[in-house]
Amino acid sequence: MRRLLFCALAAGLFILGFAGRAAAYPQFQFSSGTTRCSQCHFDPAGGGLITAWGRDESADTISRGGDGAFLHGVWTPPSWVALGADVRLAGLYNNAGGYLAPEWDFFPMQADAYARFAFGEQVSLYLEGGIRGDTRPPDSSVGGQLSTLGDRFISTDHYLMWRAGATGAYLRIGRFYAPYGLRFVEHIFYVQRYTGFDIYNQTYNLSGGYVSEDWELHVTAFTPPPTSFPDQLQSVGQRESGGAVYGEKRFNGMAMVGLQARIGTNSEMTRYQGGAVGKVWLEPAKLLLLGEGDFTRQVVTVGSGSAGVNQFVSYLGGTFFPVRGLMAGVAYERYQSDLSLSGTGLNAADVEVNYFPSAHFELLAFGRYQFFGPSANDPATASMFMLQFHYYL
Amino acid sequence: MHNPPMLLPRRARLAAVAAVLSLFAVGCGGAYEPRPMDSHWSFISATIMEPSCATVNCHSAISQRSAVDLHDPASGYKSLVGGLFVIPYHAEQSSLTNVWLTNAAPLRMPPDNPLPDVDVQIITDWINAGAPNN
Repeated sequence: MRRLLFCALAAGLFILGFAGRAAAYPQFQFSSGTTRCSQCHFDPAGGGLITAWGRDESADTISRGGDGAFLHGVWTPPSWVALGADVRLAGLYNNAGGYLAPEWDFFPMQADAYARFAFGEQVSLYLEGGIRGDTRPPDSSVGGQLSTLGDRFISTDHYLMWRAGATGAYLRIGRFYAPYGLRFVEHIFYVQRYTGFDIYNQTYNLSGGYVSEDWELHVTAFTPPPTSFPDQLQSVGQRESGGAVYGEKRFNGMAMVGLQARIGTNSEMTRYQGGAVGKVWLEPAKLLLLGEGDFTRQVVTVGSGSAGVNQFVSYLGGTFFPVRGLMAGVAYERYQSDLSLSGTGLNAADVEVNYFPSAHFELLAFGRYQFFGPSANDPATASMFMLQFHYYL
Repeated sequence: MHNPPMLLPRRARLAAVAAVLSLFAVGCGGAYEPRPMDSHWSFISATIMEPSCATVNCHSAISQRSAVDLHDPASGYKSLVGGLFVIPYHAEQSSLTNVWLTNAAPLRMPPDNPLPDVDVQIITDWINAGAPNN
């Protein structure tokens, strides 16, 4: 027992030395029998550190068994503290073209540690930190800023929250993703990348909402980290301030429809986004259908005037749960960066298989084939295949 | 005792089908004709370069791979034109245009999502127009 505890603590310290992102599995809503994302996550909109309920579900429903508790149940933190960590190792094949393609790589993809401190029944502090993973070797150029471990440290989520209870109203302030759209573990999906929710796009927010058994509403005002903040607290992507709203209605514990809107603006442009999210769980077929579609109107300051483009991004997928501990999904994605121009649409076909041999462990195989309109220059395709090992403490 | 399967209300099912179909119903525009806004770096930066290139471990402000920072128009212009990745009036001599072509670069950029021809053409035209910082 002492040896196991030592190994677990050593693993935890290793992970603390590394880091990443708040991940979620939207495929588990309804399919696991749980209808609210916030049942399994401390975040009222889902993602990140999981609750005691989530840990139980990870062993009893999602994986083939085991003990889902922190440190496999060897040591239980005080009731006012929740701890966790994720580490992911990945092997990658990537071919988007180039005379050195395809790329083969093996790399630490994620290492994050999380802590949540409860102050009484309703107030909590959430902290996350870790090391940015990177598929390619450190860049020795003058601009390359990933050469030391300190360069790679980043904290994407840290916030203070008041919450009435498991359901009801909440208010939080700090850094996190504004609730919006599907939030997959893999950040590469178009509906995340092109809507302001790519990896490390977390903003500083003031957010509030209400979560009930069959509906929830989240309203967020956001702003990018001040430029005076160190890189470890900076976000990536277009630096916008604005607001986002997400509302979700659930039906009979087997389906949901979400509506969402977002406005982000800076001195160079403004993005107006609106879209919908939907899921349907087909129990007899053990199949979850899920999709998202967003329209964006991007208005850019050009000279003394402005010019706009209309964009569209979507995801449509199905995930099959043949036996406990296994899920297999396929998806189609589309992103069109300018709806007025043909040939600007990017498409992707995805295949994903996740195996959870026991609580705390996951093996993932992910394949992606991207293609767009006829190209005069080159084969207009890209392909990627990834094997991933995931362990959470 | 057998429980009847739970079904969605008819209207909800119709709405779900309509929503799914809408995912496929868009995406066809007209052929590319140069537009006034395409000749502006601010437009190119906001609609093409920043979403495609300024990602976390590539040309974001916190990574700046190859000393190229494309997270906003000012930084992008300084990196590309100041860094001689763009030779004004000479797109064919500019290394920027080569990185999008399979046979001209070690790794085609962006290495995850290739740029469509239309975007490459817009940037090529901008370089051949003198790469103005407008």
